Amino acid sequence: MLARSRALTLLAAAAIVALPFGISNPYALSIIILALLYAYLALCWNIIGGIAGQLSLGHAAWFGIGAYTSTVLFLHWGISPWIGMLAGAVVAAAGAALIGTPCFRLRGAYFALATIAATMILRILVENSNEWLGGPRGLDVKLLRDAPLQFQYTRKEFYYAIVVALTAAGLLVNRAVMRSRFGHYLVAIRYDQEAALALGVDVQRCKVTALALSAALTAIGGTFYAQFVLFINPDEMFSISLSIQIAVICIIGGRGTLWGPVLGALVLLLVEEAARRVTGGMAGADMIVYSLVLMIVISVEPRGMLAILDRLRPPSRAQPAAHGEVP
Amino acid sequence: MSTTTILLQALLNGVASGSIYALIALGLSLQFGVMKIINFAHGSLLMIGMYLAVWATRVLGVHVLVMIPIVTVVLFVIGFFIQRWLIEPIYRKEATREPLGVLIFTTGLWIFLDNMMLILAGPDYQSLSGPWANQVVIFGNLIFSYPQIAAFVIATLVSGALVLTLRSTRIGRIIRATGQDREAASVLGIDSAKIYQLSFALGLTPLGVAGCLLLPLYPVNPFVGDVFGLRAFVVVVLGGMGSIGGAFWGGILVGIMESVGAQLMPVLVTEALIFAVFLAVLYVRPAGLFGLEHE
Repeated sequence: MLARSRALTLLAAAAIVALPFGISNPYALSIIILALLYAYLALCWNIIGGIAGQLSLGHAAWFGIGAYTSTVLFLHWGISPWIGMLAGAVVAAAGAALIGTPCFRLRGAYFALATIAATMILRILVENSNEWLGGPRGLDVKLLRDAPLQFQYTRKEFYYAIVVALTAAGLLVNRAVMRSRFGHYLVAIRYDQEAALALGVDVQRCKVTALALSAALTAIGGTFYAQFVLFINPDEMFSISLSIQIAVICIIGGRGTLWGPVLGALVLLLVEEAARRVTGGMAGADMIVYSLVLMIVISVEPRGMLAILDRLRPPSRAQPAAHGEVP
Repeated sequence: MSTTTILLQALLNGVASGSIYALIALGLSLQFGVMKIINFAHGSLLMIGMYLAVWATRVLGVHVLVMIPIVTVVLFVIGFFIQRWLIEPIYRKEATREPLGVLIFTTGLWIFLDNMMLILAGPDYQSLSGPWANQVVIFGNLIFSYPQIAAFVIATLVSGALVLTLRSTRIGRIIRATGQDREAASVLGIDSAKIYQLSFALGLTPLGVAGCLLLPLYPVNPFVGDVFGLRAFVVVVLGGMGSIGGAFWGGILVGIMESVGAQLMPVLVTEALIFAVFLAVLYVRPAGLFGLEHE
């Protein structure tokens, strides 16, 4: 059993390495890169939204902070986006501590609303900014062509390698959190906050820490995106629909599980792309498919697709407690 | 014109638009009060109401205010079936007090309706213009347009009627009782599933009225609901979640903040300020400015 799973892991690793060589079409590779980026973002969201069970609908804020921090540092001071990426993570973590402290006095729907409002304020502030932050028109990342030290390269394989590393790191962080004492505190908060409090869990501190970790990782994804498309604007970076997309991918795949966010991202982006092909790129068609999948999955099994797959598996091979369950 | 006149005009304009916000928020507040669900598709259903009004008015060639009862009834029926067929099965699976599954489902419905309408109607703004929409009444230095006056009068009347229905009729008491304690209500022989269907449907009726009232003032496009939906959430939180009367005063307050604020600072800053006030109220007084602190 162990040998077989090790062989499978090796096979998967080989496939991941070989993939960009098998795909000559840069457009297809772009789609795969974006799918992996979404998987990574959903993994980031999973820490606070899945494991800790706090429905954040404002993750675009952290994504935007990451994109803007690295881009501003690069444009105005010539600091490499590689360093800017870490700076963005620090800014996002600080912002999360700042916003999380008041927001976590709220629960459920109130918390979700507060995260939306905070993102709106941020977007409006950036839209109203002067040239320095680009105002409503946004910022162009200066084109350098092949400059890997400045987080730029003409070939898409460069970005593919980075996003694969990010996704792997996202999985490792999620697994580490799930296995740690901290992660168990978060799960306790998700199931019953009062009970966790009664057992001596510092609920507020755990939630803020989880949000800060989630925000910092999300900001790294923001920097990656800015370097990948080389253009950012407030409307896209701080959009509600991006916040919702990140949350939805994780929820559809299976919130609180390790592989759910990855499954959600791959399935949804494939379905979305298929919808785009079938309808000939009709505006809105991809989002319709998106929302339909969301509504169907949540109606059939609120725990997500991973739970549906578990149900389909023959009972003899089903491993109890293989995935965390969300109430 | 003196500064006082400008500010007074802005204040009264704010009251007029605020009364529409209040109306939209009233439905949201009713649904939350009874079922403890947050309907994220509320704004999109308003958008549907506005399109229904545009199309019907063009086809039938009647005045948009005549369409109010028709659009209202259509939305009531839509609401009944959404609750009966879509939300109820999810709601039944969840035991928690504020069901997240329903919240997620209505998020899906929101995106679905917006993009469905994008395909059906296209991205362009559509408006209803007529000679009526441009007529004004002048009181001394103050000017009001016909649609503004109609909005204020009708929105206030409908809000009042809805509040009275919930306060003092038998069905209103049944709805409130179910909201307060579902189990106790069912012991008294109330079928809570039926009451939920009724409450959800009733929660959409103000959207029919508000949609028709908004049209002469605000053109419609598939994403117009995002603006008004978010605004309605701000109003509901300011007024106190589930407090029907509070939603009304919250609406007026937001309308005034927006209109007077626009005279004193850039429009976008006003927008940010409204959200900042919203966050501050959530933080300091989650029960809302006008809500009763019973939770």
